This record gives sequence, C-alpha cells and structure tokens, in this order.
Amino acid sequence: MGFLVLAVAGAFLIYALTVGGGGVAPGAYEVTARFGEVGSLEPGAAVTVAGVKVGTVSKVSLEPDTYLARVAMALEPGIRLPADSTAKITSDSLLGGVHVAIGAGGAPEDLKAGGEIENTQGAVDLLGLIGQVVRPQPEPPAAESQ
Amino acid sequence: MAAALALKPVQAVGRLTLSSLRQVGALTLFGLRSLLALVIGPWFPGQVLRQLAAIGFYSLPVIGLTAVFTGAALALNIYTGGGRFNAEQIMPQIVALGITRELGPVLAALMLAGRVSATIAAEIGAMRATEQIDALRTLSTDPYGYLVTPRLVAAVIALPLLTLVADIIGIAGGWGVAVGFLDFNPTVYIRNTVDFVEPWDVGSGLIKAMVFGFIVALMGCYHGYRATGGARGVGRATTQAVVTAAIAIFASDYVLTTLFTAR
Repeated sequence: MGFLVLAVAGAFLIYALTVGGGGVAPGAYEVTARFGEVGSLEPGAAVTVAGVKVGTVSKVSLEPDTYLARVAMALEPGIRLPADSTAKITSDSLLGGVHVAIGAGGAPEDLKAGGEIENTQGAVDLLGLIGQVVRPQPEPPAAESQ
Repeated sequence: MAAALALKPVQAVGRLTLSSLRQVGALTLFGLRSLLALVIGPWFPGQVLRQLAAIGFYSLPVIGLTAVFTGAALALNIYTGGGRFNAEQIMPQIVALGITRELGPVLAALMLAGRVSATIAAEIGAMRATEQIDALRTLSTDPYGYLVTPRLVAAVIALPLLTLVADIIGIAGGWGVAVGFLDFNPTVYIRNTVDFVEPWDVGSGLIKAMVFGFIVALMGCYHGYRATGGARGVGRATTQAVVTAAIAIFASDYVLTTLFTAR
C-alpha cells in the first residue's frame, strides 16, 4: 500500500512538472526594462507575448539614481524579440495579479541577452484612477511665471 | 470557617496551576533528557531505521487517503466560495496554498498523532508495566537513548517526507475533482498551481511538519514512559498521548504560522 501511494504521488508530480514547466527553462536569457511604476509585480510573474507565456520576471529592484523600477526578465531561449519591442505591465484580472506583456516591434535586429527594452508602460493605478473620477482634485492655481 | 470556605476556589486554582506547571516541567525535562541522549549517544541507528519504517512508510496509506479526500473537498468548497464573487478560476491557487501551507502538514501530523502517538505510548507503556524499562536500565542501556530518541529522530525525519507526499496527493485530489466534475482544463489547472506555488509555501509546511513530528513522538514517549497502573494505565496513557499531541499540534501550528507570516 505504501508503495502504491508513493507511486501515485510520484506519477502526479512528474505529470505536473512536465505540463507545468517547473521554473525557468534551462538556457533562458535575461533582458531588463525600466518602469515608472510596477504595482504588485513580483518575481515569478509571467512575461507574455500576445498572451502566450515566454518567460518569467526574475528580479524587481529600484534604480537608486533615477527612481525607476528595474525589472529583469528571463526569456525562453527560442524566443527572439526585435530590439524595439515594448513592455507593458498589465493586470491578469480586475482582482490583482499582474504580468509583463511584451509587444513585438519591427526592428531587423534582435534584443540580445542583457539588453534593455526601451519603450515601457508601467502599471496603471486602478484605484487611483477611480479616485480621480469619483473625487476630482481641484485644478492647481496657474503658476505665476515671469 | 467562612474564610476557609471562601478560600476553597482559590486553592483549586492553585492546585490546578501547580499540577499543570509540573506537567509542563516534566515534559520539558523529558524532552531535554532525550535530546541529551541524542548528543552524547550511544546511538542506535538500527532502532531509528525500524522506527522510520513503522512511523513513515506504514503511515503512507493513511496519509494518502486523508490527503486525497481533503484536497477534493477543499476544491469543491473553494469553487463554491469563489463563485460568490465570480472568482472560481483562482481555485487551483487557493487549493495549492491551503494544502501546502496548512492542511498538508497539519492533517498528516494529526493522522500520525492518531496512529503513531498511540502506538508509541502503548509500546512504551506496556514495557513500563512489565518492567522491561527497568530491565533495560539493569543491563546498563539508557532507556532514553534506546527507546525515546530513535522515535523522536524517526518522526522528525518521517513527517516532512509524509507531508510532501500529502501535499502532492492533496493537490492531485483537488485536480481530480476540478477536472472530473467542474470542467477545468487539466493542463491549465496544473500550470496555474505550478506557477503560483513558491518554494517557501512548501518549505514552511515542511518546517511545521518537523516540529509536529517532534511533538507526536514526544507525547507518545512521554505518556508511555510515565504510564502507571498496569493495563489500565497503558490505555490511559494512549488516550492522553493522542489528545495532548493533537492539541499541541494545533497550538504550535498557530504560533509557527504567526512567525512565518510576520512581515
């Protein structure tokens, strides 16, 4: 009986790891992107192109002199992205969970390992937007300029 | 006279406090004495292996069955609960989190408390009743090192492994119900689970399991070792071992969860 239980558990684990793709694929290469706001993006979040997962976020850190968030992403080795691709942080659903959506560009040369995606769009502060609509801030008085 | 009567409840409280403190102290000394035997030896690796088989391997069927039904029921409940705010699709993640962080270790420990604490208490209690423990001492074998420590070591090793199996089978149970009855896509379910579960979710559960394993074996040994009054004493020791182990598991589970979730 004990062996049966072990066999079932082992079989399911192997099934899960083959189907689920455990962790970062071997040979993944890393690119970075800088965002003004990453929201709740955390390591492990998906990186997608056209909704298909092509990698994971490996690190989120703050760049001390620019105050931008630097996001490192590990991409599957078979995926080559044009150098002028764009990165955008989008919500999985209305209730939290974000991922990085990459829009493929049109440049002839590819993004290399360690390269940076220049065109980025950070996370949208949904509650902040709602707050602005519900209670608009008064216009600041026009600055007196000489 | 009236004063003496008024003091009666106070005396009862005092007696209760003292006796429970004495229990806690005796249990602590017992545990420390067994750990001391682990440090200074002599060691009995054969005993440890035998106990690993008895505690670990032969508990697999019980733990597997518990886990598969718990995972299945958890999946149904979370599906219903999630449906109240149109979030049925997060069911795989919540099931995985619930199983790995909480239910896997706790249920495995409870089943082990029922199975193993009772067995240990009965074994050692019977040895106490038939004066075999005194005989061991006569043969200059340390009963702590020979009887208690191998069981503690075996349980601390076995329960995390059992918990790992319980985690996998529990998630498999949830997966089975989701795919079989709730029309989830099997691949998407697995992918959501694997992507979502962090190493720490499983790791914190395994740390809990080590503590629970220690509790399970300690309670069994302690109550068996102190059993008095022949066969009836053994029965009482068995009950007490299971009950105190279960309560200690829940209490330490709360404390450990507080530590693990503290920010």
